[in-house]
Amino acid sequence: MYRNAVLCMLLVPGLFYASTGEVEPPDSPNLRVVVNMVQLNIAVTDKNGNYVTGLRPSDFTILEDGISEKVATFAEGYEPARSLDSEPAPEVAADLHREPSRQPSDSAKPLNAMVAGADVFVLFDTSNYMYRGFVFAQDAIAEFVRSLGTADKIAFYSYSRDLSRSAPLTPDRGQVLHAVRSTVAGDDAALYNCLLLTLKDAAQYQGRKVVVVFSNGPDNSSVVPPEDVAEFAQSSGVSVYMISTQDARLEPVSTAVFDRMTAATGGKAYFAKSWRDEKKAFASIRDDLAHLYSLAYYPKSNPNSGWRAITVKLVGDQMKKYRVRTRQGYRPQPTRFSAGEKTASNASIPDKGD
Amino acid sequence: MQTIRCLTLIALSAVTLSSSADLAAQTPTSATETSSIQNGAPRPAEFTIPGPLRSFLRMAGISQRVAPEEVLPLLSRNVFTQGYEGSTRQTEFLILLGRYVEQARELSALAATSGMKIRVSNCDEAKPLLTILGYRAKPNCGDSTTSLQTADAERAFLTTDSGFPLPELERTLEGGPPFEYSYTGTTVPLLSAESDWTMASRKNYKENSRDLIRTVLNNPLIARLYWALSKLDPGTASFMLQSLGVGKLVPYAAVLDFYGTRILIRDGRVIVPGDVSAESTWKDLVGASPDNPANFLQKLIAKDKGWAAAYFDVLSRTSRAQQAYFTDPRRLHYFYEGLRTIDPNSAATIGSFRPAPDLLLLAARLQIQPDGEPLIPGNIPVWKEILQQKNNPRAVRMLGKKINLTNPDQLIHTMIAFSRISDSGPLPIFMALCELDARRPVGHRLSPETVRLLASKYEDYSDQYRIFSEFPQLSDASIRLFFDVATNLNDTPGAVRGNALGTFQADVGIWQILARQGQIPDAQLDESWQHMVQPFAKARSAAEIYDAGRGSLTEIFRFASGKPRPSQDEIIDLLAGPSQTTPAGKQMHLEVAGRLRSVLDGQRLVSLDTILALGDALNEKVQGKPTPDYVFHLAGELREFEMPRPIFTSGERTEWAAGIYNNHHTDQEMRTDLSKVLRSQSASHQQLEDARGELTPFLRDTLVGLNYAYYEPPGAQALHNNPLFVRSHDFAAETISGIKTVWQAPQLIGQGTPAGGGAHFVGSLADLPYSLADLEQDFISPESVQALIWKELTPGLLTSAILPRWWDVSSDELHAVALYQRSGEELLTASAKDAQLRGKVLQILSERIIPQQTGQLEQALNTGNVADVLPHLAPADMFYLTAEFQRRYPGVIASWGSASQELQDLERQHPDQVDLKRLSRDFGVPHPSLAQTYSSELLNVAPMPAFSGTSSRFMAESWDSSNLYWARLADEKGYSPVTLNHLVPELTRRMVEKIFATDFEDWPALLRAMHETGDDFRQGKLGSVTITDAVQP
Repeated sequence: MYRNAVLCMLLVPGLFYASTGEVEPPDSPNLRVVVNMVQLNIAVTDKNGNYVTGLRPSDFTILEDGISEKVATFAEGYEPARSLDSEPAPEVAADLHREPSRQPSDSAKPLNAMVAGADVFVLFDTSNYMYRGFVFAQDAIAEFVRSLGTADKIAFYSYSRDLSRSAPLTPDRGQVLHAVRSTVAGDDAALYNCLLLTLKDAAQYQGRKVVVVFSNGPDNSSVVPPEDVAEFAQSSGVSVYMISTQDARLEPVSTAVFDRMTAATGGKAYFAKSWRDEKKAFASIRDDLAHLYSLAYYPKSNPNSGWRAITVKLVGDQMKKYRVRTRQGYRPQPTRFSAGEKTASNASIPDKGD
Repeated sequence: MQTIRCLTLIALSAVTLSSSADLAAQTPTSATETSSIQNGAPRPAEFTIPGPLRSFLRMAGISQRVAPEEVLPLLSRNVFTQGYEGSTRQTEFLILLGRYVEQARELSALAATSGMKIRVSNCDEAKPLLTILGYRAKPNCGDSTTSLQTADAERAFLTTDSGFPLPELERTLEGGPPFEYSYTGTTVPLLSAESDWTMASRKNYKENSRDLIRTVLNNPLIARLYWALSKLDPGTASFMLQSLGVGKLVPYAAVLDFYGTRILIRDGRVIVPGDVSAESTWKDLVGASPDNPANFLQKLIAKDKGWAAAYFDVLSRTSRAQQAYFTDPRRLHYFYEGLRTIDPNSAATIGSFRPAPDLLLLAARLQIQPDGEPLIPGNIPVWKEILQQKNNPRAVRMLGKKINLTNPDQLIHTMIAFSRISDSGPLPIFMALCELDARRPVGHRLSPETVRLLASKYEDYSDQYRIFSEFPQLSDASIRLFFDVATNLNDTPGAVRGNALGTFQADVGIWQILARQGQIPDAQLDESWQHMVQPFAKARSAAEIYDAGRGSLTEIFRFASGKPRPSQDEIIDLLAGPSQTTPAGKQMHLEVAGRLRSVLDGQRLVSLDTILALGDALNEKVQGKPTPDYVFHLAGELREFEMPRPIFTSGERTEWAAGIYNNHHTDQEMRTDLSKVLRSQSASHQQLEDARGELTPFLRDTLVGLNYAYYEPPGAQALHNNPLFVRSHDFAAETISGIKTVWQAPQLIGQGTPAGGGAHFVGSLADLPYSLADLEQDFISPESVQALIWKELTPGLLTSAILPRWWDVSSDELHAVALYQRSGEELLTASAKDAQLRGKVLQILSERIIPQQTGQLEQALNTGNVADVLPHLAPADMFYLTAEFQRRYPGVIASWGSASQELQDLERQHPDQVDLKRLSRDFGVPHPSLAQTYSSELLNVAPMPAFSGTSSRFMAESWDSSNLYWARLADEKGYSPVTLNHLVPELTRRMVEKIFATDFEDWPALLRAMHETGDDFRQGKLGSVTITDAVQP
């Protein structure tokens, strides 16, 4: 059974907030940015959308702002991630002639094996906008949760104007289903506020994590824009999937955000005919979880304290026909003001008396 | 409002008095009969709610935490506030509730066959149940893959929204254990016999229905009457029902709803404001004697379309001293005439909220001087002028001309008349200036000229007046200087204006923080203010604004630290609080500084050091000095900021967020490149001057960012995740039309506009603590799936948690606050065994709590059930009880318990640490709307009712229990007082998460949430509410 144990040990909590391994651009004496390991979930598909499996670390080239990065850990699907530090150098010649296998999206692998190790945060829109489709969406989510089988853990949140953390991340499907069926409809919609909070929760965990949003889209209450939410998702390595119906297409703002935000984070948006017709979306997400390559690298010295673009390519002419989907970059956390400060974070509660 | 799952939150339609029918024909009940009703109340009537109470509460929008006796009142409340659009059209909320009741009855009938249990063992048995529920089992019932899917969406919605345990049923259908669900109804008490209500409904006669729930659902007026009577003292409600009856009271449901809660009958007479000495005056006003309760009440509620009842209610809510002034025989009737002067034909019950909030403010906050006369800022002639100002509404000018003002009572009479003009007119000016003047010592009162000036500028600057109120040390000259500077800044060129206003206000904000924290000595407040403001007096160009902003900051820093040149770290260090010497103090100081820095990082602001160093370098270049290499690196910092990765094209923003997305300020910053002029060997003086001016937007942003960071509400996210938030603050209202004045509290623009680049403020920095709390509140996640953040209350709660700081509080003082609360409890407990003491205790508490609660308390004390009532009394009530008891009965030295004894000992040993003024300053909360100031104090006012508009803030500001309670917890835990700087915001956030309220004035829900938070804290369940996790946002 796939467990993310190796990766868990390698990744430092708070990817861009840790106080070690800092990169200090020489041109900016007052600015520090802190970056440890950058993790990428990468989907490789052929022109028909079939997943390409069996690739090796050496098949990938990672560029951060054009700087070639060295892959530090590698995993495919539900395999445990492995460190490449001690791995022998790849046989380049052999790679050039190797034909990777392609798998149709409806993989024959058992579901419980395919999604092992993923932390899935489900976010359900219970605002007034969902009133008409509320029960059908609820059915769909229940089906989705059941279909995830033994994925490590699922959290179920719902939102309208505020976020409700109905079920924390748990392996207990019963608890999640109970939370799904306990949701209450009503009030305004603050999708981006609540998605941000969900992403922040997800970011606290190590390993592969995705947020799956069930929503028809309109937002009439958020104070943070989708741009900031998308950037946070990318910077924290959480892929966002949006499951909607064609009703969402009636509002072009939502359609645009759903398509672009999911693409930027390495996820996908789905617009089915109705909530009853989301099977393809579910299968697609499951397949993604099962077939993603997980690569991680330690960024080389990079003077850029702003947005860092990530480009992942496959090595070799034969690989050019495949499509690569992953997050588009990240923004390291600047610590101009707080760098080097002493904090009380590790202090104990003071005694009474001055 | 933390309304519960309202599908469509519809404001209450205007339910006006249907008539002002004379109730004189009613049979008055004698005083003797009144007493007998109170003493020997009949067994309460009951009604059975179909189905599980939990489901009914979910569908009716009622908190799960209510007691059974609250169910029908809250149902009634929700029906009339949310159930109707107009007077007859039912909302979706009510339609669904009606459908649910029908479904519950079908399920009850099904359960009746099995002893009120729904039992299912297999798929066949499930069929009738699934039909009612609106679900079907797919794909094959009995199979392990079986799941429930919607078959009838309408029914399924009711099923799931009411919380029917579908997962358990699904398990049975998958082949699991049998499903069993108790479906018994719940019996809840009724105010009076069911038939009293069903018979009063004309619809029921037509429809031949006698069902209570149907009656309530179909009759908003009956629902409102039920709600109104349930808020009354039980004996009084019972008396009214028996003496007048439901049918005769229904037309006055709205009057009783808005103005009934303070009506109290005791010992055969109506307790009137001003007490016994005012009875004859009230008799003259109402036309009936208070010792004839039925006659008095029926005339009170019917008189002048509710205005007499409104007047009675307002005066009932004030302190004894205020009541004595207003009910003086020379004034009561005279002032009431004032209330009836403007628009005498409109009812006092129009609208969803009670009108004339400023009438209550005037009655509660009019400053009565020791000679019994009200404080009049300036003098009477000035007010005569003010009433005739050209910008006044016409009604004001007309009245102003008509009245020959010669004495204070005439002015108050006139002001009461103006209370009928909403949100404008001279009354808000008068109240603001009263508050401002009352805090100044007798020899330092506002001059008539300054009063005239403040009144003339009120419309444009009123929110700025809080700073004058907070710091009465500021002289009239300082106030005038402020307006001179403001006028100058208003006139700066358009390209500079926003930066000029923002920079100035940010400096003022920093001064305000340091003055409040005591880092600028009291004796130097006026002088430092003038030094801080003066640099802006003539600044006009961008470079001059930069110099002024920097000069002003330097002056603030000099007064606060004695040092000549500010650095970023030192400014942050100052804002984080006064320097600490103890380990606990140092640790907490670091934490607060860390929180400030975290916001500045989140906003990706340029360091103050960089901005100042670049300014220095440009000045030196003017003098021909070479530019050191490091300066070019610093210039590079200005160009580091990047916009968030765009999701929308510019065309899409134009189409989808027209008038909202505007980042001209940030765009201008991103184009700034000082390196060229710094490298240039031939840069002219003007070019270098212009380059210095280009630093102004950066200086503004960092200074504004410091203000934002200081007032960061707990749980804030926009401050950390939207890097345009501070930069987008539009001080000059350049991005939006329709905002006339830029000096008032900021307005939130762009909320719920995804393509708008995020919400931002337009306006000034006045009221920033509240505005930020208002914006960030919805990032707090309610614990209950049904609950929403209570919008009318939460920003006020958060403000009260953010603004006060505890750097100069001793452990003895902290302990004293706890002892005051515990002594109140001991006093209450002792009163259960001492009738005389009980009378005194109840008299004191009746000034803070509503008659209904007083009645319940009295009953509990009479029967010795003190433990049952203690959780229902707020910490501020207990604090007030001790303080007021000591004041009224100073000779009574009694030890009610260990806390009382300890408090007495502490008073003897450290009288200064127990001083009430000091405790009020350190553990009170700010009242920016009620008292026009951000200085903290314990106002000791009774809970305020809900109003609409800006007056909605009265309610939250009348809650001053939280900080007292958190202090008590800290004392119990043995924490140093400085830890309150961490604990109070965090505990308040937890409390907000736990609030599960139903109506706008659900004080019990607030108290419950506070106690639950306290219990969790005591038990160590609040992991993050510790000092160890304090730094991370």
